[in-house]
Amino acid sequence: MTTHTEETATTRTATSGEYAPERPARLEWARHAPEVYQAMIRLETAVRKNLNHTLYELVKIRASQLNHCAFCIDMHTKDALATGESVERIMQLSAWDESRHFYTEKELAALELTEAVTVLTDGFVPDEVYENAARHFEEAELAHLIAAITTINAWNRFGVTCRMAPGHYQPGQYK
Amino acid sequence: MTPRTRLLDPEVARALSTLSATAKQGLGDPALAELVVIRASQLNHCAFCLDMHLAIARRHGVPERQLDLLAAWEEAGDVFDERERAALALTEAVTVLTEGFVPDEVYERAAQHFDEVRLAHLIGLVVAINNWNRVMVSRRIPPGGYTP
Repeated sequence: MTTHTEETATTRTATSGEYAPERPARLEWARHAPEVYQAMIRLETAVRKNLNHTLYELVKIRASQLNHCAFCIDMHTKDALATGESVERIMQLSAWDESRHFYTEKELAALELTEAVTVLTDGFVPDEVYENAARHFEEAELAHLIAAITTINAWNRFGVTCRMAPGHYQPGQYK
Repeated sequence: MTPRTRLLDPEVARALSTLSATAKQGLGDPALAELVVIRASQLNHCAFCLDMHLAIARRHGVPERQLDLLAAWEEAGDVFDERERAALALTEAVTVLTEGFVPDEVYERAAQHFDEVRLAHLIGLVVAINNWNRVMVSRRIPPGGYTP
């Protein structure tokens, strides 16, 4: 199977013409701040061990959509698909509140919390959102979920600020 | 107000502390680091982080006038120099990410004042405080728990 990652911008053509050229990254932050990158890897490793993989990928994709992180969307949709997630559930994720029957109540509570924690500059994390999550996750599990949400927010900020280019990720590349 | 939960995986807490510490050290400007961290905490409404970092800023000798006017730094004339203003503009863009991307002019302005190594650490610091802000606001950790 040919994937987009094996093609180059110049060979891809859409019906309306050639695709725009790929923009280079602004900054190779991990090379310039390797000890910061190592701390992020430690954080990611600590968070990942505590959370169900399927749920974690949904949380990562939704936060990355809200933060417009192209690199992270590329990575986590590929990882989710490679580990058995359905195309439908990924496609519906940006409209999850209108497609609730695609997800479990527990996943919905986690997605709602993901949005509240991600869009923090618009307000606080509402009591009803937190309490709904607390009904589906016991206290320690909820603390893990919060850490997972904050961690993908951290990756998103590196990805967007440094303009890391999407399209080159292979599933499981960093595992 | 009581916290919603105080739980946080100790490994997560350690990694977060290392993230902040390495970023701050690499930036190499403790006073500027506190301005950046306080501004992000204002945008994210993190009471715990504001309380903690205002105390640290005062210990680092950040002028009271800068702390007073930080929330309106763009209108504060020469209270902040060009390097500080470039760092604060980047801090805001990286923090308010859901409303857009990080504009080229904001990034390039920062790149004029910070070399690649310092810039990578500055971005790391903004990322780290955003992470702490989220961890503290979500769990509703009240201000006042920090002692210098």
